[in-house]
Amino acid sequence: MLEVKDLHATVGGKPILKGLSLEIADGEVHAIMGPNGAGKSTLGNVIAGREGYEVTAGEVIYRGKNLLELEPEERACEGVFLAFQYPVEIPGVNNTYFLRAALNAQRKYRGEPELDSMQFLKLVREKLQILHINDDLMHRAVNEGFSGGEKKRNEIFQMAVLEPSLAILDETDSGLDIDALRLVAEGVNRLRAEDRAIIVVTHYQRLLDHIVPDVVHVLADGKIVASGGANLALKLEEEGYAWLEQGGIVPLNVENRP
Amino acid sequence: MDTSPTTPLVEKWSSDFRSAHNLQGPEWMRELQASAAAQFSASGLPTRKTEAWKYTPVRALETLNPSVSGPAPRARQNVIFPEPVCPAGAVADIGNGCLAGDLPDTIAGVTLLPLAKGLEAYPEKLQGMLACVDLEGAARIFTALNTAFLDQGLVVHVGENVKAGSLLIRWAFSDEQKAQLNNFRILLLLDPGAELEIIEQYESAGETAGALNVVTQIDLAEGAVLKHIRVQSESDGVVLLTSTSVEQAAGSNYCYSGFDLGGGLVRHELDSILAGTGAEAGFNGAFILDRKRHVDNHVSVEHAARGCSSTQFFRGVLGGSSRGVFNGRALISPGADESKVKQSNANLLLSTLAEMDTKPELEIYADEVEAAHGATVGQLDEAAIFYMRSRGLSDKQARRMLTSAFCHAVTDRIEDRVLAERIAGMLDAVMPDGLPATGDS
Repeated sequence: MLEVKDLHATVGGKPILKGLSLEIADGEVHAIMGPNGAGKSTLGNVIAGREGYEVTAGEVIYRGKNLLELEPEERACEGVFLAFQYPVEIPGVNNTYFLRAALNAQRKYRGEPELDSMQFLKLVREKLQILHINDDLMHRAVNEGFSGGEKKRNEIFQMAVLEPSLAILDETDSGLDIDALRLVAEGVNRLRAEDRAIIVVTHYQRLLDHIVPDVVHVLADGKIVASGGANLALKLEEEGYAWLEQGGIVPLNVENRP
Repeated sequence: MDTSPTTPLVEKWSSDFRSAHNLQGPEWMRELQASAAAQFSASGLPTRKTEAWKYTPVRALETLNPSVSGPAPRARQNVIFPEPVCPAGAVADIGNGCLAGDLPDTIAGVTLLPLAKGLEAYPEKLQGMLACVDLEGAARIFTALNTAFLDQGLVVHVGENVKAGSLLIRWAFSDEQKAQLNNFRILLLLDPGAELEIIEQYESAGETAGALNVVTQIDLAEGAVLKHIRVQSESDGVVLLTSTSVEQAAGSNYCYSGFDLGGGLVRHELDSILAGTGAEAGFNGAFILDRKRHVDNHVSVEHAARGCSSTQFFRGVLGGSSRGVFNGRALISPGADESKVKQSNANLLLSTLAEMDTKPELEIYADEVEAAHGATVGQLDEAAIFYMRSRGLSDKQARRMLTSAFCHAVTDRIEDRVLAERIAGMLDAVMPDGLPATGDS
């Protein structure tokens, strides 16, 4: 699904990613953990194509295509989805209208017929029900005046409607209370599928109690410094990241990979 | 640009006035006209030094160099009126500044008369209204001009407690009129408790040039309600100058919604005096500018009684090398306690060559006043654009969607949802493209 090779990226001239490599197969859920400033969000933004993130070396191959050559909307249409750490408010643009326009743009790109408003409404109802989201969010402007939890849930909802092949959840758990966290996790779990890969970027183990990853990576100073099974996250929870700096015990626990 | 009173254009108008000896009307009116002519000859065209016109040069008018005609048979020929912007109870058509055809008599409780007949029907009331208009100085020259050549006009009277429905006024030019500055006066009288909706539609067929100077005077008695919607989509060759002044008695409500989608040089002066307790005035507007077009909205509201409220809500989208002006003034006079004022003007610049001058002014001389004002000039939010693109929308689609939503904040304030949607669609259709960050479009 996704192959990141020796990726170097700078933000405002400052190197953030310094040789990050990562491989994700169809159907897998990978968690990326790491201390503040390690480059976790940068990875998501580079994959989504945000301006201001300059790739200086390396490549990102997604389903055989060089992702870095595509415009952000082309990446989206190819099935890449970033759930934002800070979802943007779009005043005056109705949530339903926006999402339908987005879905239809993607369908058009893929040569599929666009959905009319009745067909779209039916789809929305199904997804709302699955995710236990109140439909009043759909009548409001995109993220405008949404609480932190509502914004995050709206991201998951968009993901459910757009049905991406590769989803990156950038600290979707931050700012959520336990109940909201459980709902978001449940939403993500329902979207786990054979033909879909998910990257969960998080600070904390607690999200991984609900979304059990196939692989956990530790990202520090712009590189993956350790990879392992779900139990690596537990070790991090217990021991923190200090051991990383103490001199390079790198527990590459690869046999836990499925 | 020399704009002393000796401007050739003003001299030409003075000469037009002298030769327009066929102006008719009662003695008092001829006196009023002569004095107005003396005013406009003496004051000359506004210049950059004329505070109220500082950001609106009248060069386009000078280039057009129009004559002003008296009541010559200038009307009608070849004027094509637009399809009505909405269904209305009655339609009045004004072609090349003259009433075209008979006035409708289809609204019960409403009297519609041409100016001359109106002056016979309501002599004292209208004499008072016509005489009380400020004509002094360069800032008021177009009102003085309008008064000097006072001939064509429409009088609308709505009787007490009559809920009158809607009147559509369609304005259009024909091309052979481009060397003319057409003057027109509208006088609206609403008796206590009367209600009326006026929709003005300015739209000429083809690429027309011309100039129109419309002065509207509105008298709202106690509890009267007037909704006033103006949709202007003239071509770039048109100069449109309007001056609307409203006097509001206690409990009356005036709501203006103006949309400028076209026009080369457009200036709207919108004034209201809230003279009676609890009167309310709302001024809303959106303008979409492209190329070298220029739109100026000058709003001034005076709170002269207790417990009145007023809002000003204007949004502008500027592309090309266009220029927009907003000046919103609210004056809370002594004794106008418990007044509420909201002023807001936000603008989007889609081009580095476009320019917006915005100035909210608030003067408060009373107690317990709630006042809020804000003005912004900015670009589209790039973070929002990336967010939208990351969901699959193209850069162009994202920019259009944001710009359109920005303007729909004004159409959302129109109660009639069908008309609101129609105008929103018209706004979208003339929306200039923004600056694509990636050259995708």
